[in-house]
Amino acid sequence: MTSEYKKPLPRPTINPEVSQPFWEGTKKHELWLQYCLNHNGHFFYPREVCPVCLAPQERLVWQQVPAKGRVHSYTTVYQPALPAFAEEAPFIHALIELDAGARIVGNVVGLSREEVEGNALELNQPVEAVFEDVTDEWTLVKWQRVDG
Amino acid sequence: MSLRGEAAIIGIGELPTQRSTPGRSMLGLLGDAARIAIKDAHIRKEDVDGIVTEGGATYPASVAEYLGIRDVRFGTGSSMMGASGATGIAIASMAVMNGLANNVLVLMGVARNPALGGGGEGFGGPGGEFEMPYGTAAGANTGYAMIYKKHMDQYGTTQEQLAHVASNQRFNALENENSAFKGQAISHQDVLDSRYVNYPLRLLECVMPCGGAAAAIVTTAERAKASLTNPVYVLGVGTALDDFGAYPKPEFTTSPVARSAPVAYAMSGYTPRDIQFAEFYDCYTILEAMCLEDAGIAPKGEIGPFFAATDTTYKGTFPINTDGGQLSSGQPGLAGGFRHVIEGARQIMGKAGVRQVARKDLCLVNG
Amino acid sequence: MTSEYKKPLPRPAMNPEVSKPFWEGTKKHELWMQYCLNHNGHFFYPREVCPICWAPQDRLVWQKVSGKGRVFSYTTVFQPAIPAFAEEAPYIHALIEVDEGARIIGNVIDIPQEDVAANKLEVNQRVEAVFEDVTDEWTLVKWKPIGEG
Repeated sequence: MTSEYKKPLPRPTINPEVSQPFWEGTKKHELWLQYCLNHNGHFFYPREVCPVCLAPQERLVWQQVPAKGRVHSYTTVYQPALPAFAEEAPFIHALIELDAGARIVGNVVGLSREEVEGNALELNQPVEAVFEDVTDEWTLVKWQRVDG
Repeated sequence: MSLRGEAAIIGIGELPTQRSTPGRSMLGLLGDAARIAIKDAHIRKEDVDGIVTEGGATYPASVAEYLGIRDVRFGTGSSMMGASGATGIAIASMAVMNGLANNVLVLMGVARNPALGGGGEGFGGPGGEFEMPYGTAAGANTGYAMIYKKHMDQYGTTQEQLAHVASNQRFNALENENSAFKGQAISHQDVLDSRYVNYPLRLLECVMPCGGAAAAIVTTAERAKASLTNPVYVLGVGTALDDFGAYPKPEFTTSPVARSAPVAYAMSGYTPRDIQFAEFYDCYTILEAMCLEDAGIAPKGEIGPFFAATDTTYKGTFPINTDGGQLSSGQPGLAGGFRHVIEGARQIMGKAGVRQVARKDLCLVNG
Repeated sequence: MTSEYKKPLPRPAMNPEVSKPFWEGTKKHELWMQYCLNHNGHFFYPREVCPICWAPQDRLVWQKVSGKGRVFSYTTVFQPAIPAFAEEAPYIHALIEVDEGARIIGNVIDIPQEDVAANKLEVNQRVEAVFEDVTDEWTLVKWKPIGEG
């Protein structure tokens, strides 16, 4: 919640209007995904057509989903591309498979430095979302371990 | 061996061309066009195993990702600016006939969404240094106007003659649901009365930038025969390109069509006399006119008298740009040039409705 | 020769080093073009390789040329792309074929405004270069009609 946040903020380049409900959700500390009424499934990232069945925009709705999932895979970043991330390296950049069925990228936080460097995080580790209000405008979704 | 009769378009998809596409992105519009195309082709999304995009702003992989197209066996960009769509069909035909893929999705388009900014960015190259200081007009107007002027001087072509290009195409667009100018009639005199953007180009001789998208499915002849559609066989293809800018090239009033058309004719076994109707790239009246004569539809330099004497509407003796073309539908980026392929296929499939041409079997397309 | 020049100045986007002799020439009110020692001909715009015979850079030299030519084609711009040009529209944006054989873009000036608006300029009109010092840094080449010969 500081104006001095130095790391990149989300830049909605494909279509800000389409992804807006996602970011409105995170500000309320909720996870919202698009749901396709045609094939009956969630997907991520936000789109104007369903990536599973090509259903058009009017068949896509937004739903709040349980902010829970599992670590599908991850990498421990020792050398970030951007200097702004340098001081917290190494950190975990993970792909989370949500219980709702879609995949989303985020950091897994709450591990000790020893755990991070020892690659103690296991794949399939159950995680839940934590919402980080990085500026007044933006809230990022990160993840922490929970008991399966 | 050639690709004569070896590949066919079995489905097309085209979105209405719109002056602006609020809330929409290019990728989103491409998705809508793709959906229409696979439905038209009676295939499933999962059957698409190849993809051809423009390749610059739209990498095949970005589009495949956005559209969730899995197991792509063949993907490339055609990168031919206005001719990207037509070239994409040629590339897709080669891919399917050689077994690289079975169903190649060719798709082009652009959004026109003020929220996304965009448009109007210059290309790299010499323009910023050697042309812009002298006050260019918008888009490609400057170069094509000078070609127009040279054509007038060289062959006696008149603005009065080329105004028919615009007015005939507007007639063709009047009942086209996908035209931005649907129902907005203009007369030959209206074209001549429209203001100069830059002499000799008048406003109604220039395309209007729009948003939109189009797509088509190409498959093997064998699969096409077994499909539930009325296939459109690709009988001959030729491609050629020229300098990016108009001014250095020696043959100023000749287009690359002078080199691509003979290849396509030879491959197909047909001659200009056999062509029943034409769908030709038309960012400006002069460009379309010049390309038509380079394709042998009229002798070189005589395209002006041809337009003065020929009814080129869909009801006419030699229909050209039967959906209104880009001049009377709008130019949704590279889907603008692709529309000529789409409309040619639509006519051959017999799905052009009120504007169905009488003789619909052999079409010459220039992208 | 004013710092208030509002129109676009040349932006050498491809390779400023290669085109520099051209702009140094215009500052001296001279027209310079590259000449290819391989095929023995001039060309324009400046390049690192000859567009006629692909001769490499070390076969390309700069030469001062006559500064005369003919109008190859032109357009009269009634609606400029950039607002800064609006007040002088309509004006002539032309393609000039210089006597040495290369083509170059520029404005044809020194024509009465009513003739400009009426598109009286003829293709093949003989012209010669005039140099306009638009800022302390940049001199543009424009063209004015002259008699035959």
